[in-house]
Amino acid sequence: MNDLRLTERDLDNRTARMTARKVQVHYGQNHALKDVDVDILDKTVTAFIGPSGCGKSTFLRCLNRMNDTIAACRVEGQITLEGEDIYDRRVDPVQLRAKVGMVFQKPNPFPKSIYDNVAYGPRIHGLARNRAELDEVVEKSLRRAALWAEVKDRLHAPGTGLSGGQQQRLCIARAVATEPEVLLMDEPCSALDPIATAQVEELIDELRENFSVVIVTHSMQQAARVSQKTAFFHMGHLVEHGDTAQIFTNPRDPRTESYITGRIG
Amino acid sequence: MTLPLLLLLLVILALGSFLAGRARALMVAGGDARRLHSLPAHHGLNLMLAFALPSAVALAGWLLARPAAAPGPAAMLAIPAIGLAAAASLWLTMRPESRARNEVEAAAKGFLILCSVIAIATTVGIVLSLLFETAGFFRQYPAAKFFFGTVWRPDFRGDSDLGFLPLLWGTIYVSAIALAVAVPVGLFAAVYMSEYASPRFRTFAKPAIEMLAGIPTIVYGLFALITVGPLLRDWIASPLGLGTSGASVATAGLVMGVMTIPFVSSLSDDIINAVPQSLRDGSLGLGATKSETIRQVVLPAALPGIVGAVLLAASRAIGETMIVVLGAGAAAKLSLNPFEAMTTVTVKIVSQLTGDTDFSAPETLVAFALGLTLFALTLGLNILALIIVRKYREQYE
Ligand SMILES: Nc1ncnc2c1ncn2[C@@H]1O[C@H](COP(=O)(O)OP(=O)(O)OP(=O)(O)O)[C@@H](O)[C@H]1O
Ligand SMILES: [Mg+2]
Repeated sequence: MNDLRLTERDLDNRTARMTARKVQVHYGQNHALKDVDVDILDKTVTAFIGPSGCGKSTFLRCLNRMNDTIAACRVEGQITLEGEDIYDRRVDPVQLRAKVGMVFQKPNPFPKSIYDNVAYGPRIHGLARNRAELDEVVEKSLRRAALWAEVKDRLHAPGTGLSGGQQQRLCIARAVATEPEVLLMDEPCSALDPIATAQVEELIDELRENFSVVIVTHSMQQAARVSQKTAFFHMGHLVEHGDTAQIFTNPRDPRTESYITGRIG
Repeated sequence: MTLPLLLLLLVILALGSFLAGRARALMVAGGDARRLHSLPAHHGLNLMLAFALPSAVALAGWLLARPAAAPGPAAMLAIPAIGLAAAASLWLTMRPESRARNEVEAAAKGFLILCSVIAIATTVGIVLSLLFETAGFFRQYPAAKFFFGTVWRPDFRGDSDLGFLPLLWGTIYVSAIALAVAVPVGLFAAVYMSEYASPRFRTFAKPAIEMLAGIPTIVYGLFALITVGPLLRDWIASPLGLGTSGASVATAGLVMGVMTIPFVSSLSDDIINAVPQSLRDGSLGLGATKSETIRQVVLPAALPGIVGAVLLAASRAIGETMIVVLGAGAAAKLSLNPFEAMTTVTVKIVSQLTGDTDFSAPETLVAFALGLTLFALTLGLNILALIIVRKYREQYE
């Protein structure tokens, strides 16, 4: 056990892209997250698992300061991206969110065409110099989100006209198009069929070559398949955090064990 | 006996038939409401309708036939008797499996249809009467001279020039200035209120803006006459050599713009608030700033509603009379100078119909032609809005 701690600290120093220390979140009186310490490692997929309402989405939203948009929400503690405190007053949350992208739990395509949805981020951040480049970015992103084949003939149809699962993949393509360094995905596959799920998992694996990915999921199998690190949340506490293989085969905490074997949650 | 007494009798009998129907339903079911197809209250309502509808038809027919006289004793008894006969036959044929609920449902639907027919029929009636009077006008005055005439000089002794263009121009000019004030101010105020303002500021500011809508237009007119008009004349028009008239298109337009701000802002505010937070989150989550999010996601999503709000403001502005009379004067003129007195269609409708009027002279009948044209104008505006909204729906949903 001590050895494990040591290697973890080692990793902290070398390749942790994001670190969270003693993070507390309050929604008004509701203490939603208590003392969460997590490292998001470079080129790694981290899975957040835990029962509904335990604070997974809340913590995810802390990582790109989306909680700023909720008036009642108060975040304490320290979260860093590449060593810089993201809650520092000098940090521009807008820039931060360009680096730490997000796919939401519910698909939320903009009331624009499919093309414009995907091109939204690149346009805002000036990532494409001309139309041809933009076309390329859009196509590449849609391909990565496993949506290209279905929409290539109707790129200018409204994004809101797609099915729920297609909309979610559109949102994934939209987030990928901005080329974030860290991609936060809140249950990205909850509306997808097994084929699309497999494609998204493939995408996650591919993204890992360049980015860090954090994925919230209710599927143990999915967490086991795609992630290298897993964090288990329970009632606002980070109960356990470590290598996915270790969490699933040899959990240290009895709560983790009962959750992954299906006894709580 | 008199009509009010008859009505009272009918109401009492209707209530009685409701109670009778309910009791009868329980009776045929042997006291066990579960054996009934419909609830006892449905049977009660059904019986009440069976009484009320024939009675109402009979009463209406009788009133139409002899509108002046008070109901005689024969009618007094005949009208409720018709209803009672219908109700009684239903009472006798009632079975546990009678479908009173479905019949009540059908009656409810019929009532709703009746209401919409009334609304539509009124509109059609108004348009028809306008058409009729307008036709009378065009028999005495050539239509081409009306629609394309550039001089408005009515003369009740005959030989008037009743050119529509100066009035149309005045209407468009004043409304355009009003919208130029109201749309940006109202829309940006709405954006501030719904996206930036703190809840505390909102609770205080929103009613304050809406209060503008509660001020009677005559008060705005006074404001235009006494404050804005002289102000514009002394500070802008005179120094620039654009005229010395206190009443001007600019005055009326500005004041009317202020009046219509709440129409734009309040509606737009509600519409912007109705845009789901998840869309804003999606945009912010991609690293867009707040104003980028508003410009590129929130406003496009709210656009159909905002177009509606602007059109409402436009029709308010086109129909407004009081502010124009006091702010812009009553002189019909074709001019580009915004500091000159002009007038609008509605003002001229009023002035042609006030005082000694002779409803066969073209000088009076022209008011109907003006009214009809104004109606066609606002109708066209509404259709345009509908097309715009539909186009965006197609693109965005
Ligand atoms: N906007 C909010 N305002 C107030 N309380 C909130 C808000 N969002 C979440 N909470 C509270 O914070 C706690 C954690 O919620 P969170 O959405 O993070 O759960 P979750 O783990 O993502 O659950 P799920 O798996 O169902 O998505 C819950 O108790 C919830 O009631
Ligand atoms: Mg969640």
